[in-house]
Amino acid sequence: MTDFRIRHPNARVDFRRPLSFSFDGQVYPGYAGDTLASALLGNGVRMLGRSFKYGRPRGIVGAGPEEPNALVQIEAGPLTIPNLKATQVELYEGLIARRTSGWPTLAFDLKSFCGPLSRFMPAGFYYKTFQNQKLWPYFETIIRQAAGYGSAPEEADPETYDHRHRHVQVVIVGGGACGLFAALDLGRSGLNVVLLDEQNEMGGWLLSSPHTSIGGESAEAWLRAILAELQSLPNVAVLTRTSAFALHDMNLLLAVEQLQDHRPLAERSESKPRQRLHRIRADRIILATGAIERPLVFGNNDLPGVLTASALTTYLNRYGVAVGKRVVLQTSNDHVYQGACDLARMGCSVVLADTRSRPNTVWEQRAHSAGVDVRPGYGIAAAHGGRTTHAARLAKLDGEQNTVLAPGPLIECDVVGSSGGLSPTVHLYCHDGGRPLWDESRLAFVAPEMGRAEAGIFCTGAVTGTFGLQAGLEQAQRVTDAVLASLQKSATRKARNLETDEPDSIPARRIFRVPDGKPEGHGKKAFVDFQNDVTAADIHLAVRENYRSIEHIKRYTALGFGTDQGKLSNVNGFAIAADAMGKSIPEVGTTTYRPAYSPVTFGTLAGAHEGDTFEPRRYTAMHAAHVKRDAVFENVGQWLRPQYFLRPGEDRDAAVRRECLAARRTVGIMDASTLGKIDIQGKDVREFLNRIYANAWTQLAPGKCRYGLMLDENGMVMDDGVTACISDRHFLMTTTTGGAARVLTWLENWHQTEWPDLDVYMTSVTDHWATAAVVGPKSREVLAKVCSDIDFAPSAFKFMDWREGTVADVPARVFRISFSGELAFEINVDASYGPHVWEALLEAGAEFGIMPYGTDAMHVLRAEKGFIIVGQDTDGSMTPFDLDMAWAVAMKKPFSFIGKRSLARSDTSAPNRKQLVGLLTEDPTVVLAEGAQIIEQSDLEPPVPMLGHVTSSYFSPELNRSIAMAVVRDGIQRRSEEGRKLGRDAVFAYADGKTHKVKVVSPVFVDPEGARQNA
Amino acid sequence: MREPIPQSPLHAFGLASQARAVDEGCGVWANEIALLGYISLRGNSADPAFVNKVTSVTGVPLPVEPCSFATSGGIKVLWLSPDEWIIVCGGHRLSDILGGLRSGLEGIRSQIADNSGGYTQVLLKGRNALDVLQHASVYDFASLAPGRVVGTTFGKSSVYAHRMDEGFCLLVRRSFADYIWRYLARAAAPYGLGIAALEATGHAGHGVAA
Repeated sequence: MTDFRIRHPNARVDFRRPLSFSFDGQVYPGYAGDTLASALLGNGVRMLGRSFKYGRPRGIVGAGPEEPNALVQIEAGPLTIPNLKATQVELYEGLIARRTSGWPTLAFDLKSFCGPLSRFMPAGFYYKTFQNQKLWPYFETIIRQAAGYGSAPEEADPETYDHRHRHVQVVIVGGGACGLFAALDLGRSGLNVVLLDEQNEMGGWLLSSPHTSIGGESAEAWLRAILAELQSLPNVAVLTRTSAFALHDMNLLLAVEQLQDHRPLAERSESKPRQRLHRIRADRIILATGAIERPLVFGNNDLPGVLTASALTTYLNRYGVAVGKRVVLQTSNDHVYQGACDLARMGCSVVLADTRSRPNTVWEQRAHSAGVDVRPGYGIAAAHGGRTTHAARLAKLDGEQNTVLAPGPLIECDVVGSSGGLSPTVHLYCHDGGRPLWDESRLAFVAPEMGRAEAGIFCTGAVTGTFGLQAGLEQAQRVTDAVLASLQKSATRKARNLETDEPDSIPARRIFRVPDGKPEGHGKKAFVDFQNDVTAADIHLAVRENYRSIEHIKRYTALGFGTDQGKLSNVNGFAIAADAMGKSIPEVGTTTYRPAYSPVTFGTLAGAHEGDTFEPRRYTAMHAAHVKRDAVFENVGQWLRPQYFLRPGEDRDAAVRRECLAARRTVGIMDASTLGKIDIQGKDVREFLNRIYANAWTQLAPGKCRYGLMLDENGMVMDDGVTACISDRHFLMTTTTGGAARVLTWLENWHQTEWPDLDVYMTSVTDHWATAAVVGPKSREVLAKVCSDIDFAPSAFKFMDWREGTVADVPARVFRISFSGELAFEINVDASYGPHVWEALLEAGAEFGIMPYGTDAMHVLRAEKGFIIVGQDTDGSMTPFDLDMAWAVAMKKPFSFIGKRSLARSDTSAPNRKQLVGLLTEDPTVVLAEGAQIIEQSDLEPPVPMLGHVTSSYFSPELNRSIAMAVVRDGIQRRSEEGRKLGRDAVFAYADGKTHKVKVVSPVFVDPEGARQNA
Repeated sequence: MREPIPQSPLHAFGLASQARAVDEGCGVWANEIALLGYISLRGNSADPAFVNKVTSVTGVPLPVEPCSFATSGGIKVLWLSPDEWIIVCGGHRLSDILGGLRSGLEGIRSQIADNSGGYTQVLLKGRNALDVLQHASVYDFASLAPGRVVGTTFGKSSVYAHRMDEGFCLLVRRSFADYIWRYLARAAAPYGLGIAALEATGHAGHGVAA
């Protein structure tokens, strides 16, 4: 195996720390500080995959987040990560990587047979070809198999993620020369600063050009000094491996920090998260995000071994890898010269085709003295090769027009690098509304230096099109001053020598697609977007097919749609489209830059919101008592409530049946702590309740309770519950479990905005009280055993009374109210004593066979009595009259009540509304599906008018048959004597393909006289 | 019949038995300050009669400045909103403060509600206490000055927080306490979480009083 390493001292890899890793099953050596890409190139591995559409061999193109081809699958099993860019994977001992394309094998790829057919696979191929909707699922399976990249893990992610909010004065994105320089000045001024960079170390491009001199020092020494000072400043946080991926309104910057992925599996910390999402809110943001070199577009520019020129420089200087020994470079600009000189000095043969007929003379001289063969006026018409690059065919270009004057020589080589200029990384600048500006002199979309200063966003360095190092540092100083001034501070700095050894640059040639002398589409394929196999010809075709908006061209061709988000391809694509349309680049504009800048894991976005911290789980004080008794829990709102208690050998139905019968025949006990409880006090509390509730509260005496319906402005039932009069100025309202917060907000809203004159205050006491409902014929006897200071005689403690007393030695409020229709008492105590009182009640009830019951039994018991559940039997379109609850509406109260006026609206008071009724199936064993449609006839020939639907449906153990509640058009009339005579009570319920004959009846199935609850 | 023994909202975690003296071994130290008396108070802070009466009953000047709190004699009064406070006291003081407020505020527009079963407090300290809060909440806790109290988010729930004992004190609703403790423990795990021994004073159960 050939070694492509050049072990020079400036490399950022540690040659004393060799590592081994595997790729596609083969083990290779590498070094600490390598990326997977640099290590593979160091081992001469060229081809890493096959292309998406044509199955063409592909290799590494870039050195960072711009990489379109080298998508790899890292590790296996639950830790596997699909589609990472090899250029961003830090090498560690034992790393296992696999390719993600090439099917069935890399060497033999089925799609590659499509290559010769590629003229039949133009842009829009899928749209045009697979139009048969019925066959599409079949096509889709094959296309997905052929086109996919990596595989998502199939097991649960064992790693953790978290979020961290940060509040800073300045956040600086990008730790290159300008970002570091700004951080230093701002840090010295005492500002609270965060500096972040996505790479494993700070330095940006300086890491790729270590011998550049700044103020007489080498870049490497300059960098070291700044970093040391930044580390010493406690007000500056320096975050490496932290990629800012979104900039939102109000200067909220999101960044993901890699905490573990760079460590060998065995060295990863179990207690630490894998990735951390930083949510940074900053007074000022400085974007020093740099630029990414875009390649030139030319024939066979996708061969393995064709890279961007800057990537070649980075691999050489930063990683100690000469990607090839015989290098052909082509450029439109000056940026490539330093790298060309470095390659030549390290022993590579270098031919540099400068598309400009007159290169920068200073650079030309330096290149000559380094041994670079500069060919002015030449470009590369096409690369030659297969699974690697063998040669480059040059062409002599016209000095003005981008046309070929004459064919050029074929130069044998093993690597080709190209530079079409720098594309500033303007993504973050554009995320919250900024648009980049086309700078024709720099041939780049740039962000302005003063960014959007009024919003606190500033830009410096290459992102503004300031590509020179010295100019960038001077600009960073200027921007820093502006930031400080905007924060009413000033810089305290001495004059510094920022002089560098860069020659003055000369303009680049305006060229994107290097001509090969043939009409577009007739020469070798010239790729614009590698990941999606978009060629220059495809863009021309889209324009010929009359796509005019660049957003449409993007979607038609898939330009810039990959995981690299077009970091290499977009500007070339815009420019080629502009040329094809005969428009200027600003006229064509850009596509929209949206978050995320680079892919972010779902785990990072979820953070701690998973597992047992996914959602708040609210527990009652008696939770442990329920767990002990084998409760099965259900979520009600955020509460966990026992649904039923399983005894050995029981299933859910058997448990619910046992629990229901206990409450009906002897005694049951239910944890009702979750009901909302609102304490309301003030001298106007009765009037307040009169307005809030549909019914009247003026006469309710202390010691009494009343059921109330709460309506919204539309007259629709929004909540219900029992409210007790504690004293003339003190009431305790209960709400539904899920409605508690909404009702409290509702009360506050009406009080604060409409009736501030009413002397009343309200406070949630939901969590203060633990509530045990003791239900059943024996409940009085159970209570009497644990409470001696309340007279439980039926004449002394009537239904809908409440008393204060002591239950099991704990002060308590006991309410004689019932949600089951049975004799029942609800005992409320300070929740701290809930477990004690619960156990005492169970102990006292043991001799009667007391059984705890859950929400399932509660639902059956209440339905047997026709008691509604707001939100289940109502849906926001039910008035009290629809519920046949006119008794709970007092239309004659002196002041209005919420919803009163709406009850008189024509629609609300219209006939034939859906009304709440009971249903009995003809077959008593059939339990209807909740949601079943009510229809007039069993005939299902459409159209079938819908009369309503089943809202609640259960098997009633008490009646030994099924029961249901439903809303049915004109239901109250249907179940009246007159309706029955007309046969209107006979309807059908339809669900799941079955129709059942049902009879419309009263929803009160058990004890319609109320004898039990009044016993 | 057994003696009534109160259980705090975080009873199930058995924190008391894990408590130990704070040292440098963990970055975060926390514990529940269990079973205190909590009184919800509402009234008009512009009414001198209301303010004076509350102040004289509690012995703590009623904090009327937004987001402030005051303590005196083991009683703490937190401002929650312009007309809403919570009084935190030892359980042994609950009855007489409740009684004092009820009789003292007779005829004065106000509300007094015993909420002792409804709340608990979590003490959070250690060198990484602030980090834990920044994992859990968007609020800038570094800017929370002594004497200030803030109601803010905590994960998908909420807390009232103020500085205490070189750390933070979180006032938490009973039914959300489990979630908040789990979230806190998860956020603290990377720094090491220790259960801090509490000082003995004022943390006894509040006995039977309502």
